[in-house]
Amino acid sequence: MWSTAREIAAGDVVIIWLTREVIQPLHITPGKDFNSKFGNYKHSDFIGIPYGSKVASRTGKGFIHILRPTPELWTLALPHRTQILYLADIAFITSWLNIKRGSRVIEAGTGSGSFSHSVARTVGSAGHLYSYEFHEARAKKASEEFKRHGMDDIVTLTHRNVCKEGFTIVDEADAVFLDLPAPWEAVDYAKTALRKDRTTRICCFSPCMEQVLRTVSALNEAGFTEITMYETLLRPHEVSLVPTLQPIAEVSEKLKKAEAKREEKRLQQIAANKTRSASMKRKREGGTEEDEDEAESKRVKTDDEDAGSKEESSSHLMTRESVEMLVDEEATPMASRAPSLAPPGKMSVSKALPEVRGHTSYLTFACLVPSSTFSAPPPIAAAEAAAPNVEASSSDKIDA
Amino acid sequence: MNNHDNSAGREWMSSPGSKIHAGDMVLLRLPNSDIRSIKTEKDSTVVVGKFGSFYANELIDQPYGLTYEIADKKLTIVPPRTLQEVEDTDATNELINDGEFVQPLTIDEIQVLKQSGVHASDIIKKQIEQHANYSLKTEYSKEKYKKRKEAKYSKSFTTIEPTLFNVCEYWFNKDQNRIRDLRADTLSQMLNLANIRPGGRYLVVDDASGMVVSGILERMGGEGRVLSICDTDSPPAYPVISHMNFNSSITDILVSLNWATAEEDYMPIIPPSDIPADQVKSERQKSRLNKRRAVTELLRSTREDLFSGEFNSLVIATEYDPYSVIERLAPYLGGSASIVVHNPHIQVLSDLQTKLRALPDYLCPTVTEAWLRRYQILPGRTHPMMAMSGSGGFLLHTIKVYDDPSASYVLTHRRQKTKKTKTETEEMGRVNGEASSRETNPQEQFKVDIAMS
Ligand SMILES: C[S@@+](CC[C@H](N)C(=O)[O-])C[C@H]1O[C@@H](n2cnc3c(N)ncnc32)[C@H](O)[C@@H]1O
Repeated sequence: MWSTAREIAAGDVVIIWLTREVIQPLHITPGKDFNSKFGNYKHSDFIGIPYGSKVASRTGKGFIHILRPTPELWTLALPHRTQILYLADIAFITSWLNIKRGSRVIEAGTGSGSFSHSVARTVGSAGHLYSYEFHEARAKKASEEFKRHGMDDIVTLTHRNVCKEGFTIVDEADAVFLDLPAPWEAVDYAKTALRKDRTTRICCFSPCMEQVLRTVSALNEAGFTEITMYETLLRPHEVSLVPTLQPIAEVSEKLKKAEAKREEKRLQQIAANKTRSASMKRKREGGTEEDEDEAESKRVKTDDEDAGSKEESSSHLMTRESVEMLVDEEATPMASRAPSLAPPGKMSVSKALPEVRGHTSYLTFACLVPSSTFSAPPPIAAAEAAAPNVEASSSDKIDA
Repeated sequence: MNNHDNSAGREWMSSPGSKIHAGDMVLLRLPNSDIRSIKTEKDSTVVVGKFGSFYANELIDQPYGLTYEIADKKLTIVPPRTLQEVEDTDATNELINDGEFVQPLTIDEIQVLKQSGVHASDIIKKQIEQHANYSLKTEYSKEKYKKRKEAKYSKSFTTIEPTLFNVCEYWFNKDQNRIRDLRADTLSQMLNLANIRPGGRYLVVDDASGMVVSGILERMGGEGRVLSICDTDSPPAYPVISHMNFNSSITDILVSLNWATAEEDYMPIIPPSDIPADQVKSERQKSRLNKRRAVTELLRSTREDLFSGEFNSLVIATEYDPYSVIERLAPYLGGSASIVVHNPHIQVLSDLQTKLRALPDYLCPTVTEAWLRRYQILPGRTHPMMAMSGSGGFLLHTIKVYDDPSASYVLTHRRQKTKKTKTETEEMGRVNGEASSRETNPQEQFKVDIAMS
């Protein structure tokens, strides 16, 4: 699956990282060009350079990073043919279903293959992924992709409707993952495909609670146990470097100074008015201006003694923009290699991004425990069926 | 480490870890949902508190996941419970006052019943019969009542398969400090972000009792190489690994160095092992020398392995300064390698992110937090669990890249007047790009996180 060589070779699939939002796959084909907002490149320029290289465009304006594909990058770069699964769900499902080297896994439908790539990586060539897709064009596209990515020895893709025809294996799968509109229709087929000599697991991925409830009943009726449901999300945090927070004592000092200055001005005004009325000849604005200049320079001096900057004193309540401006200003010294400490007077703060994904789907899980060891389970333990009250006798049962 | 020496007898390929073996650490779930950890030592008796005891041999060679009832130290397999439909009746809780919730059987009466060998479900039945208000209660609360009683008296348990998820959940609930708050969902994200696969070569720093090492080993299935760097002079005994019941073929790929022996300039002090043959007197001395030689050789080859570099990922859950760990180990990573750092405190990772984003060798360091909510699934009563884990820690993920100092941002040329300005703008963009210079540097924008988009 994908190249493990240090350097890029012709025919490799690589991931081009333009920005964190623009990540795309590229099939290295000598003779072809790669043109983007971030410069123009020739595929042949990439051949022989190590994976992970930053590459400057031919004109020197703009650059890209060329990365080795991983399923996680593939999820961000793949061509969307359907809705897809992302890291948080994929990782959690893999973990709950106990998918690891050597696992034999069923998934339906294949969709855009986001989940498929991750599972194929995890099970490796000792395991196998049986993937099913009933949409012919999607099945074809996915199967081409698996081939191009060197996964066709790990993945078997079958074009079929699993809710009607079931799966292609019997008593073999360690885990089943259903990302279908009506997973409950495939639950019995899943049971047939799962091996019975050990505990196996199933996950159904549905965005709506109504779907979950139908799935739960189907799982329960088919004899699955330990039924449980989760939701998982990933919250990205934004980190910024901001000035350490100002103590309010400084604020009150500034307020006091401002007040004193206002008072001083007022008195000057009065004095000036007096002078003006006393002598019409001296009616010149310059006098007042001079006084103000004097006051200004005095103020700056005291502020400097307070170790506050001019900008800070000019706006007592620092706006978000001014915070960012300060970060910008101080940026250049930060760029020296291997900074050992946050620069003095700065701190790193983080907060969740303002807009985050709120829901992907509900993950309904269940186990199928080996059944050969006991005879077909009665619906409830015999002793528990006999409840004392008539109206309770048929329904008073114990939940797992 | 719990290695099974006679691995030949274990068909782990066909059913990895699915059977209970002699000497395994086995997790049992009791009816009240408590989890106990026991050891199935051959011919021993397992005591599960006041709950009862049974012969360990009864469990050996059984598949994991079954439910048993204890009677006379023997185990009988009982069917797993399935969800049962509970239909509501006309009764409500309206006429029941809590104070009237009478307990018809006294403790002594229950004791007598128990000693006479009456089955737990019969005791419950008896209690229900005598429960004055029982018929007035709703099906829901009746069930709750029965469940409470059952948890108290039933002598059954279920064996829990030591999957990574189950073991992580067990440790998280038992002692989350010891695994540095690493919750199962967060751990699984780490393993995926680090691209752990059979055959890979990984560097790991695990001060989380071996939770991370366990995850990596399990995923790799004995194929590849895991090199862990620790803070002790001898290889660490990771307590979590023993719960995984790994076959030795799984753990054989793990080697370790410590922070001293992982230094290239350091010459480890090794007692001499090449003593002339005529000076070796006893057999004991000989075997001691052989052992010493093996240890020396392992140390030499492990160091060589590390220094040869080109590792595929670096996974860190450390109590030390993560930046110092990355500074030390990143040179041994190949291009495009993943670096994943877990920490229970976001402050630590915020600082780390600030440092890394100032360097051109780390692509887009990103801090994320996993959120997990579990639901109670019962007919007619499906809702999120009332209690929820607050945090499973935070992750920082970045990709190691090779810088090209001559490359420049595509839009900076608009503003550049002199060579000097250009470099400044460029560096400014690199430092703040993500947080604050969206306009100047579209190539460093921070909006949607890599992992979430
Ligand atoms: C949401 S997509 C799966 C996305 C996939 N998990 C991923 O991560 O890329 C669902 C897919 O299931 C397919 N599908 C729906 N019902 C099906 C059925 N009964 N049998 C086979 N495939 C089906 C659809 O055509 C669609 O491609």
